[in-house]
Amino acid sequence: MADSAAEARIDQSLVARVLLGNDRRAFEQLVRRYQGMVRAQLRRLLHGDEAAADDLAQEAFLLAWRKLDQFRGEAKFSTWLYRIAYSCFLQSYRKRPSSAGDVDEEEVEKLPEPSHAVNLQLDFERALQQLSAAEQTVLLHCVQLGLSHEEAAFVLAMPLGTVKTHATRGKAKLKTWLAAWNETATEERTS
Amino acid sequence: MSHQHDDAIEVLLRKQFDGPVPNEGFSERVMQRLPPRRRRMAWPLWAGVVVGMAACWLSLSSAPLLHVGWRDLMGGELSAPAITLLLAIAGMSLLASWWSVTEADDR
Repeated sequence: MADSAAEARIDQSLVARVLLGNDRRAFEQLVRRYQGMVRAQLRRLLHGDEAAADDLAQEAFLLAWRKLDQFRGEAKFSTWLYRIAYSCFLQSYRKRPSSAGDVDEEEVEKLPEPSHAVNLQLDFERALQQLSAAEQTVLLHCVQLGLSHEEAAFVLAMPLGTVKTHATRGKAKLKTWLAAWNETATEERTS
Repeated sequence: MSHQHDDAIEVLLRKQFDGPVPNEGFSERVMQRLPPRRRRMAWPLWAGVVVGMAACWLSLSSAPLLHVGWRDLMGGELSAPAITLLLAIAGMSLLASWWSVTEADDR
């Protein structure tokens, strides 16, 4: 908690240095502090397309530079950046023709029978891909990026209740799948 | 049981996330593409202030209360119009101070 408050103060002072003194070095520090997580966020959103994710991350930081005077410190700087990055992702996503990444919510039912021989991590990755785009996005922000439900709602511009629903539903689907995987693994071990 | 499953799923989700991407020259590339910062233009604000004051003066110049209040104030007499005028000035000063403090906080 104290660490988070100290981090927020550092961010605020760096932002103030940019705004009041036009200090590019202060902005560079902000980029260095958050580029890793913003790029990781975009890589997940773009299903591992590193080049496209880096292009969008660059676009997001340039937008943050232009709009820095709109950062009022109501959210954490990182959360504000995630929101910009997510908007950039949405804009590029809307420009693209519909991709195979969109998966019907019912498709999770059609997952192939999990096999003990297959690595759990690989199976889990595949199961994750079967979740709806909204569920994947919410789980990415809430669990993997470590945002609270409120922060995720801000980043994704979604009502808080919708975020909670997607998180619960996504976990429930994974839970069902994981239980099936455990049963198969136990059966294989005992036979 | 359910809580345990939730925990297991969260652990798997975190494991499956690669974490922050190493910089590898990314920040330098961003900094090279950074355009010069445009300063916010101040003249529209000051033009608005001047126009507002002029409009205020024009609309109040014909009001007898202002003249009487000002005359009494200058004569050192605390009449009702003078007190009204003083209260109006104090109120506007308070509003301006509150606005300045809020703006300073936001920065």
